[in-house]
Amino acid sequence: MIGNDIVDLKYSASNWKRPRFLDKVFTQNEQALIFSSENKHETLWLLWSMKEAAYKIHVQQFGERFFNPKRLVCELISEDKGLIRIDDNNYFTTSAITENYVHTIATLSASTTNMNSVFKAEIASHHIQSDILKKALLKSISKTKQLPLQDLEIKKTTIGVPELFCDDSKLPMSFSLTHCGRFSGFVY
Amino acid sequence: MTNDELIAKLKTIVQPYIQDEEAFKNLNEDTDFINDLKINSANLVDVILDVEDEFDIRIENDDMEKMISVKAAMEIVNEKLAAK
Repeated sequence: MIGNDIVDLKYSASNWKRPRFLDKVFTQNEQALIFSSENKHETLWLLWSMKEAAYKIHVQQFGERFFNPKRLVCELISEDKGLIRIDDNNYFTTSAITENYVHTIATLSASTTNMNSVFKAEIASHHIQSDILKKALLKSISKTKQLPLQDLEIKKTTIGVPELFCDDSKLPMSFSLTHCGRFSGFVY
Repeated sequence: MTNDELIAKLKTIVQPYIQDEEAFKNLNEDTDFINDLKINSANLVDVILDVEDEFDIRIENDDMEKMISVKAAMEIVNEKLAAK
């Protein structure tokens, strides 16, 4: 299983400096990591994207949603590698950090290979953006898995987990979509 | 406060963060903040903080955990107001 999350570093989704924001989202250790880092803004959104990417696997695994970022405990192993714990479950993350965005991919084991992409999204409505992103993913899957593009379709489960169908039968393939500000991304 | 008044207040709070106008127009108890209103999860933290400010309550993470729908938010706000 796989999950991914992108944060546009120049698109202020949230003002993390507002009172009580940090305590709702980050453990004391994570806050210490943020405040001791050279670029607090970047480290904060790096940890956030690690939590989000791991959460996306957790929902696929257990079919249960919750909103409690602090229950996902982050550890940075190196500049781009991380470890996330949700209760007794461990997730591995690899992040790409540029001056514009942080993109994190979470996996269940430390060494897996995947296909992933980050691209500039059009500034458009959520609906249009989501459509463009799904089409980009399907095009990529069609190419790498040699499946006819017109037979591929993404449907969401009742709790909102996207699943891939080919000619109406579900494919046993984990993938993840993400969007923030000027960027979209996917992984499978 | 009646349920309608509470929903109206929540509707005002979430408005700046929604990304689906249609779902927002039809907001009701069954509306999901993320799946229906397409609020991004960082902004869901803002929603929680705005709810705390509006009702002068504090929501611990164990309660916040369930706050993914209007119905769950209403339950928690009512609980906290009753405990005041």
